[in-house]
Formats: sequence, structure tokens, C-alpha cells
Amino acid sequence: MPAQLQHEWDLFHATWFTLMGIGGGIFLLARLLRVEARLGVWFGIPAVDVVSFVLIGVGGLVLVWSLGRPFRMLRAVLKPGTSWISRGAIADFIFLVTGGVLVLPGLAVGGVKPFAWLPWDAWAANAAGTAIEIVALGAAAIVIVYAGLVLSDKAAITYWRSPLVPAQFVLSSLAMSMATVMVMEALNGAPVARVQWWLLAKFSALLLLTIVWHVVHDRAKPGKAEALTRLATTYRWLFFAGVVGAGTILPGLLALLGAGAPSDRPALAFACLVLTVAGGFYLRLLTLRVGYFPPVSGALRLSKRPR
Amino acid sequence: MRWGMVIDLRKCVGCQTCTVACHEENALPPGVFWRHVVDVEVGEYPDVRRTFLPMGCQHCAEPPCVPVCPTGASQQRKDGIVFVQYDMCIGCGYCAIACPYRARHMVQDHTWYFGEPTPSEAQAREPERHGVMTKCTFCKHRVDKAPAGATPGVDPEYTPVCVSSCIANAMHFGDLDDPASNVSRLRDEHQPGVLLEELGLKPSLFYITE
Repeated sequence: MPAQLQHEWDLFHATWFTLMGIGGGIFLLARLLRVEARLGVWFGIPAVDVVSFVLIGVGGLVLVWSLGRPFRMLRAVLKPGTSWISRGAIADFIFLVTGGVLVLPGLAVGGVKPFAWLPWDAWAANAAGTAIEIVALGAAAIVIVYAGLVLSDKAAITYWRSPLVPAQFVLSSLAMSMATVMVMEALNGAPVARVQWWLLAKFSALLLLTIVWHVVHDRAKPGKAEALTRLATTYRWLFFAGVVGAGTILPGLLALLGAGAPSDRPALAFACLVLTVAGGFYLRLLTLRVGYFPPVSGALRLSKRPR
Repeated sequence: MRWGMVIDLRKCVGCQTCTVACHEENALPPGVFWRHVVDVEVGEYPDVRRTFLPMGCQHCAEPPCVPVCPTGASQQRKDGIVFVQYDMCIGCGYCAIACPYRARHMVQDHTWYFGEPTPSEAQAREPERHGVMTKCTFCKHRVDKAPAGATPGVDPEYTPVCVSSCIANAMHFGDLDDPASNVSRLRDEHQPGVLLEELGLKPSLFYITE
């Protein structure tokens, strides 16, 4: 049997991976860089947290929609010991709960803060708030990592079975998230710090490195050779010009430009957001679409017959 | 006890009787085949031969499809049979991605050969099989029915239908742990190979090639 393309996972999964990557990433970056206050406040809570919850919620719904039996979705948390889908589902749940609980004291509806009595600070300025924030940050980190691990851990598909796949997904998530954070800052009239541009440039450079490494490493492996051929033929423009050129190299260059051009930063940030998100989505989609099962031929090593 | 099969590729004529028998026995929807025979060309010119390769779930001793399942629906019995507990499956497809033998099939919708279910389809198709992953069960519904004194693999009624229907006697089913079983004898005599041995999944389907 020759190598065969997988058809189980496609558009829904690429969308799910992308939304989870941005949702977890913006929470992580905004909180770690301590810029969440600069991104706006909606109903007394950080706007970035609201965007993060919405993206992860929508990502989760996209996944649920793709299931054969969506009403059984809660069962997906039953095997965290061996399944990355279970681990990811649990991390999503913990993130939404702890992230939501963290900001509750700040929630203001009609000038009233109904949860102000809670003993922690929504901006993690006291010990209890910090503890909840750490748990939420840990869960957010798993949220952006697990999509790649779902593919690389036990899949039969050669192209996916590499630590470079989760590395690409994480770096792409961080790049998309940094661009999102910068656009939110720009929309809120807040300055975009130079360090953020440098970080975006570094994420893009590392992403480029992992993509190139993945493409040149183990090229002849059964299943991977077919995947690379498909990338170089069917998807050559989308992959090389789109994902690599426009989605990775160009935002990296724009980030370097942004680090030295304060006046153009909002426009550059917006351009980076569009490019990184489109590049990140197609990186995930093409990774799925070039997933080949290796050829099955082990038993057919027949001994040679005389001519 | 560990159920397994030995398939003699020298005898297989590629008639697809096993494919049809499995499809009928398990009331599979159109386009879903738990057992199928692949027509392959092996060797290099001028030593080229045509071989028929019956494929399906290999019921691996170390099945990669079981640990990845997020719900525990993919299971392995003590006798080695790997199956899907339909009422636990959410239809995420992860097990299909993990199986290098491409032996898992998602049944997305109720589909019938003639628009409406035939009496046979209506009787045999489990409603629970809609929206979930399906796969070869080694006909466990037949194997488990074997009364004391009957031997699956010997008594056709209690043998996987692909084996009992094989017109060329190319397929054999039995207990791999029993040194006196038909499959153990064939393994001793012919030293059959397995598919994708390098993956270390310890499949329970063995192929006699020479």
C-alpha cells in the first residue's frame, strides 16, 4: 500500500489550533509582560482576558462541532494519562475557570462590582490573585503547546512525528499573539514597547528556523518524502510564498522596522497581525493537509526469484 | 490467550470474498470496509510480482490507537481484541490518525445502499455506530458465542467471517498463545512476517509470503 493522505483532520482542526494558539498566547504574553492594563478595560476587567476567553471558547466550539458525537464532549477529559486531547481539554477548562475567577472581583456592571468582596485582586496584585494567575498562566501555556503535541506524540503520520511541529505551533502562536497584543495597544492609544517588536522579530526568526529545519531534516523518510513533495508541488505558493514568506519572514522584517519607527507602529502592528494570523492558520492547515501515512509494505519483502 | 490470524499470501487470489462477507456480517455502510484486499505490485523489474494483501485492523499487542483515545472508548481485551466501545466514543478521529494501518473508519451519517435500510441493514446496523469510529472486531460477536468444546478458528460458526468465507483457505484464525493451535503451527512452519514490524506494535496478523 503506498503512502496515503489522512482525511480525518482538516479545516476545523486548523481553526481550532489557531484560535487556541492566539487565545492562550495573548493571555500569557500580556500577563508576563505586564501590559494587560494598556490593552483596555471592558466592564472593569482586562480586555485582553475577554478576547482570550472568547477565542478559546470559540476554538473549543469549533472542535466540538467537528466531533462525530458532540454531546459527549465532556468525556474527552477522561484519559489525561495517555492522551494529549484529554490533557488539552483539561487545560482549556482550567484556563477558562481560573482566568474567569481571577477577573471576577473587577467585573463592573452599571457601576456596581458584584464580586468585589472576593479576597483576590483581578489584576493579581495580592497573593491570592497571584496564585490564581500562576495557575491560569500554566494552563494557558499548555493550551498553546498541546495542539502540536497532539500531532507529534503518537500519530502514525511521519511528517507530524517531530518535536519541530509543536515548536512551530508554539512559536507561531507567540508571534500571532504578540501582534494581537500590539494591535490592541494601538487601538487603545497605548504605546507599543520596543521590546515587544524585538520579541515578535525573535519569534518570527525562530519560527523560520524550525520550519526550515523540519523541511530539510529526514527528507527521505517514508511518508515524509511524500509530504514534502506535496508541499513543493500542490502547495508550493501557499507554503513558500504564503506561510514562509508573507507569514513568517515579512512580519519579522516589519517587527525590526517597528522597533526603529515609532510613528508607524500602529500600521505596522496591524500588518503584522494580518500576516502572522494568516501565516499561522495556513501553517497549521498545510501541516494537516500534507499528513501522509507511511507506506505499508513490511511483509512484502519477498526473496528474489531466479529470472 | 491472544487471538490472531495467519494469512497465506501465496494462496490469496484477491477475490474479495472476505471483504464482502465482512461487510455483510457487520452491516457496514457504503464505502466502509473493515476488511479489504489490496492489489499490490512487489519487487523491482524484472523480478516483479502481483500480490494480494488482505488488510484490516492488525489487533496489535501494543495498539497506538488505544492510549490516544481521550475517552477510553478504544479498548483492548485480555484476549488481544482491540475494539471501540461505541457509547463512549466522541468521534474525534485521534485513533484513526494514530493507526499506521489505516484500519479505522468514521461513520459520519446513516447511509444505506438503497436510500432506505434494507431489512438486513435495519436488523444488523447498530444505531450507536453513527458519528463514531468503527473498526474490525475480529468478529468478537461470533468468537464470544463459542460454547465449551467449540474452537474459534476451527468451527466456522465461531470464527471471524472473513476467515470462514475465504475460498482459498488463505486465512487462519486462532489462539497465538496456544502452541497446538492452527495459527501457532503455521507460524512455526512458515515464519510469517508482520506489516510495519519496525514500529514495534506487535500486530496479531501474520503474513506468509514464501
